Amino acid sequence: MADKKFRALVCCRAGMGSSMMLKIKCDQVIKESNLPIETEHGNLDSLNGFTGDLVVTMSDLTDELAVDPRVPYAVGVKNIVDKAEIKAGLVKYLAEQGVEVSE
Amino acid sequence: MLSDLVSEELIQLDVEATNWEDGVRKSAQPLVDAGKVTPAYVDDIVKGVNELGPYIVITEHVALPHARPEQGALEPAVGITVLREPVEFGSKDNDPVKFLFPLSAKDSDGHIAALQSLVELLSDPEFFTRLEAAHSPKDVMGLIHDMEGSL
Repeated sequence: MADKKFRALVCCRAGMGSSMMLKIKCDQVIKESNLPIETEHGNLDSLNGFTGDLVVTMSDLTDELAVDPRVPYAVGVKNIVDKAEIKAGLVKYLAEQGVEVSE
Repeated sequence: MLSDLVSEELIQLDVEATNWEDGVRKSAQPLVDAGKVTPAYVDDIVKGVNELGPYIVITEHVALPHARPEQGALEPAVGITVLREPVEFGSKDNDPVKFLFPLSAKDSDGHIAALQSLVELLSDPEFFTRLEAAHSPKDVMGLIHDMEGSL
């Protein structure tokens, strides 16, 4: 399991713009903290046929996604530039999968 | 580069807006006038917020009005609008909004560098301090060139 990478879809309604910016910040956090997650980005339509592990969006979309059967797990981000918040959301997800993240 | 997508004609300072929709429409009007987006694109931004909530408010006091590319994004562009008085979008965490960065992109992959610059500027409190102090669109372009160079 050590090499398992979780696949995250970073998305917004439009599939460009804010989702791409959120992906950039997620990738910075993932790299800095060496988290076992790889990201792709898209729009809400990308959820059709999505086979990854979690979805990351701005928090306003998260409530809707949390009840969407296509979404295995939703991480909401309130502030796109807050790397600590993004990290906390991803680490919480990983902890629930039994993956401990060393600081 | 972000400075490739922004131009003085897309920058507006000290804009009066009566509410969030007015602010979104006013921020995007220069993009319509410059042929960067269609009027339908702006309508779709408003529709998106009405249907899904203020998801375009992405950090404190900042909105990034944008819609699906197929709704009428014609050429890649980023506008900048600073409101005289901030308006409420109904964002629990990031209201009120004073700065709007309307965005047009056909796909994001071609503009990663520009979006990266934009998100880094939005991460930097100095950017907003200097943006609030700017007196003209020319000042803002100078600010972007200046800060983009040091990223």
